[in-house]
Amino acid sequence: MASATQALPQPAMNYRRREFRRAWRSMVAAKWPLLALLILVCVIFAALFGPQIAPLDPNRQNIMLRLAGPLTEGRGKTLFLLGTDGLGRDVFSRLLYGARVSLLVGISAILVGGTIGVVAGLVSGYFGGWIDDVIMRLGDIQLAFPFILFAIMFLVILGPGLANIILVLGVGQWVTYARIVRAQTLSLREKEYVEAARALGDSTVSVIFRTILPNIMAPLTVIASFNVASVILSEASLSFLGLGVPPSVPTWGSMLAESRDQLLANKWWLAFYPGIAIVMTVLSFNILGDWLRDFLDPRLKTLG
Amino acid sequence: MTSLIRILATGCALLCGIAAAQAAPPPDTLVVGLSADASTFDPAQISSRDNANIAKHIFATLYTVNFEGEIKPYLADKTEVSADGLSYLIKIKPNLTCDNGEALTAEDVAYSFNRPADKSKKFTGNSAGFVFPTLGFKSAEVVDDLTVRINLSARTTLALGMMAQIYIHCKDAYEAMTLEQASTNPVGSGSYRLVSWQRGSQIVLEKVKDPGRFKRIVWRIIPEASTRTAELIAGNVDIITNVSPDQIGAIDASGTAAVEKVSGTRRMQVGYNLSPNAAGMPGAAEIQNPKVRFALQYAVDVPGICSQLLGTTCERATSLVNPPNGNPDLKAVPYDPAMAEKLLDEAGYPRGADGVRFHIRLQGPRGRYLNDANVVQAIGQYLTDVGVQTDVELLEWASVYSPLLRAKKMAPLFFLGQGGVTWNPLYDMSLFSTPDATTNYQSWTDPRWFDDWKLALAAPSVAEARPVINRMLKLFYEEGPWLQLYFQPDFYGVSKRVAWKPRRDEEIDLFDASLK
Amino acid sequence: MWTFIIRRLLQSIIVIFGVTAISFVALQIGGDPTYLYVSERATAEEIQQTRVALGFDRPLYEQYFTFIGNLLHGDFGTSLSYKRPALEAVLEALPATIELTLFAMIFAIVLAIPLGVFAALYRGSALDGSIMTMGMLGQSIPSFWLGIMMIMFFGLYLRWLPISGHVPFLVPLLQGHVVEAFSQLPMALYYLVMPGVAVGFYSLSRNARLVRSSMLEVLGQDFVRTARSKGIPEAAVIIHHALRNAWLPVVTMVGLEFGFLLGGVVVVEMIFSWPGIGRLVFNAINQRDIPVVQACVIMLSVIFISLNLLVDLIYVRIDPRVKL
Repeated sequence: MASATQALPQPAMNYRRREFRRAWRSMVAAKWPLLALLILVCVIFAALFGPQIAPLDPNRQNIMLRLAGPLTEGRGKTLFLLGTDGLGRDVFSRLLYGARVSLLVGISAILVGGTIGVVAGLVSGYFGGWIDDVIMRLGDIQLAFPFILFAIMFLVILGPGLANIILVLGVGQWVTYARIVRAQTLSLREKEYVEAARALGDSTVSVIFRTILPNIMAPLTVIASFNVASVILSEASLSFLGLGVPPSVPTWGSMLAESRDQLLANKWWLAFYPGIAIVMTVLSFNILGDWLRDFLDPRLKTLG
Repeated sequence: MTSLIRILATGCALLCGIAAAQAAPPPDTLVVGLSADASTFDPAQISSRDNANIAKHIFATLYTVNFEGEIKPYLADKTEVSADGLSYLIKIKPNLTCDNGEALTAEDVAYSFNRPADKSKKFTGNSAGFVFPTLGFKSAEVVDDLTVRINLSARTTLALGMMAQIYIHCKDAYEAMTLEQASTNPVGSGSYRLVSWQRGSQIVLEKVKDPGRFKRIVWRIIPEASTRTAELIAGNVDIITNVSPDQIGAIDASGTAAVEKVSGTRRMQVGYNLSPNAAGMPGAAEIQNPKVRFALQYAVDVPGICSQLLGTTCERATSLVNPPNGNPDLKAVPYDPAMAEKLLDEAGYPRGADGVRFHIRLQGPRGRYLNDANVVQAIGQYLTDVGVQTDVELLEWASVYSPLLRAKKMAPLFFLGQGGVTWNPLYDMSLFSTPDATTNYQSWTDPRWFDDWKLALAAPSVAEARPVINRMLKLFYEEGPWLQLYFQPDFYGVSKRVAWKPRRDEEIDLFDASLK
Repeated sequence: MWTFIIRRLLQSIIVIFGVTAISFVALQIGGDPTYLYVSERATAEEIQQTRVALGFDRPLYEQYFTFIGNLLHGDFGTSLSYKRPALEAVLEALPATIELTLFAMIFAIVLAIPLGVFAALYRGSALDGSIMTMGMLGQSIPSFWLGIMMIMFFGLYLRWLPISGHVPFLVPLLQGHVVEAFSQLPMALYYLVMPGVAVGFYSLSRNARLVRSSMLEVLGQDFVRTARSKGIPEAAVIIHHALRNAWLPVVTMVGLEFGFLLGGVVVVEMIFSWPGIGRLVFNAINQRDIPVVQACVIMLSVIFISLNLLVDLIYVRIDPRVKL
């Protein structure tokens, strides 16, 4: 610990610590973000160690034991904790594996969209001129093209697949990031410390990524946390249309979409557990996003 | 101005529609819930099954295939076939009319055949695309006011059944319309008339003459299966198609409706792609061996799939021919994984150290056949269980699966259902008419089959071809290119209010439906 | 002001061309759609004939330029599956979707304002808690799931609302049958409730939270404090000072809202058998019916662009700080 402290200049380290402590206190005071954080930690744990926790193979079917209710005993010593689905697969194991894929889709799509958007926004805002024009028109085209049509069109053509879904959902998000980053960059470009960095002979790339980018990360984090939630929902809708991930890949969205024929037949567990998983995760991302926004927005800090 | 009147008319019809949707439909109205809308009512353009089901109430045909699978005259009165089987002299009933009041004569019948055949009009409907090539249609000519002669290029026992699919319509009415008008303003010859067509919502037909018991038929377009079931249970719809097997229980328990099951004529199979196109894909070499193909037949629990995933006991398939026209000596292969493993060992594909004999890919469509996605995944599991590691891939039908099929570029295993008929075994067998026939998706080339096929076709009647047919079907059973599954059961939800029996051939025939 | 509008219109034209190019290329790389328009037993020769008839034998750029050329004459081409003008098919389906999105939009905005305002005024109370919980839940439930649950509960169990179907309001209105249209309005709304809520619920939740946080922000600002200290009644402070400023972010949302609501429209139209553009375009994409897809995409982009232009203009009127 001591050596790690020495690696950073003392004042910066202290500032960072103080900020973390302040964040923690604010989180504890607000209570809900703390709960959200706890839920997300659980979900991330399930995503990382799902394969180790899962009692059964999530893709092992047994149609003779399909649609068994929660706590049904299977052959041998197996227990279907949360019941089985339409092909006799263990819902609990699929839920655990699903955590991994759903989070993967949510986060990677944001990373894809965020990266494209941030780079486009930085370039656009920093250089201005015709580059700015081209990028912003591309953004307008993307916005004017209804996202759902964009997604359906490309998934019908590329075929369903995890990478394709991530790509399509990611590309659909870039404009939001690009616009915010551009606006921030425009205002930062003329700031003294950016001028200073430039005057010191930093390369353009270095100015953009080392000086400007760190200063606009805060609002981006807030948007990203909301976005993860909406991407998880979009994935569910695409699964409903039959454009989701391949059948061997469990996701919460596709589990929910598969359950729709069973709703009238009152097989509630098929929809309930993935539904709860989605609601809790999305809710947590939203609550954290809210809190983060309040925390980072100095104007709101004064409010009791 | 006409469009204005049409809008007004639809408005009025719609008000009736509201009443229908809110409470039980009135006693003279039958409401059917379909999953897909019609795309056109031009008799030469109609191609989809749902579209044809509506159209057959608007347009009469020369013949009709009845509930039992027999071909009966409808507009035709007398039929004479020339000795060489190439010319059909058909006399129609007197005093027929079309919806616009025009007399329906031999000229109109000939026109109904010649119009879709007109290459310059580029029709892509069922008539030009399927019926005429199968029929070997050459021309139709007027003999006298009530008699028409239809010329074919080759003798076929399928002739009357194929002619039963040609919609009869009046020449003067259609000559006066552009193609665009023809697609929305059918001038029919059948017992119902199109009153309104709210695209994506509903189609209303009104009775003009017999046969038919309901004054009005409303076809509501309800794409989502759960919504169709809910509307049926709520009593707003009388008949629904494509009931999801898992909702049968809910419908039967509702007290307002019940599910009618019928063993359809669609032959469900896992095709083996034997074509050179599949070469190089995992499993392609192994399935070239007929012993492997037969062994896999034991690996799949077809009765289990039926009872669990389709919610019924299905009619097992022993060949590509629909019962009762098949070879009666053939018995469906039972589910016996131990036998499958034994045969695979004998064929020279023992389990490796990892328990895998060989890898193979299985493709299937999603949303095309009854519960297809689940059935395909279950088959994949059964094959994996006997050591044939199966990688399942589900594809969208229209834009992906169907083109692959046409190009014969499927994976070594592919799930498919092909429509058949109850009235002629040769129709069912005609999928494999030549090694490179378009419907020979498996690229099966066994010369014994194709030599016998010529013999069977040349026979003057089906009865006389029977010994050859049975020999062919035995070959198909033992060394054929299909992993035989079942004849697809069809489920219709029927309200307690009406008496109606579904047909085996996926046609919806409402002429005999009545109130209870 | 006028130069602003003209510049925006010019930009819009570029955008629309971009949109058509994307969908054109996307649909083409999906492969040759000819197979979808021939029968199961068509021979290779027949397939080739159909290909030529549909124009898919020509090079891609040639097809695109033909398409653009026709477009400039107002000709969107003929639908491959319906064999009638693509534009006609799209215009026929458009009113139902506009009814649906309009209802959802009004639902999502009109209800969001009081919910957000009350939540902000009673910050930390049980009322605030329940409104925000609903808001959070609303942002976590996929619309198809909400739709099916509503069908089961309100349609099948309680039988309060119709399960599926559509009564037109805009079509008779646009045809000039004003009396007929308004006599159908109650029925139209009756059928609109469930699909409209399913489409708009997500936005309602988001907007309510947006109004709440921007209201909180405004309430903490000096001019509100000044107004209060002057002894102006609380209700007047809220309505005249706080609310006027608090709903600005909501207005900004409206323009983007349309594109956003469309996301739910495809799925909800399927579930409620709503005869709108969402189902039309979904089928058209699956059928590779390029003219219909193009016409849909163009119509929707035009609506989106004009709506955003309108929002910008409104913004200028209600927010004196913004100048064009």
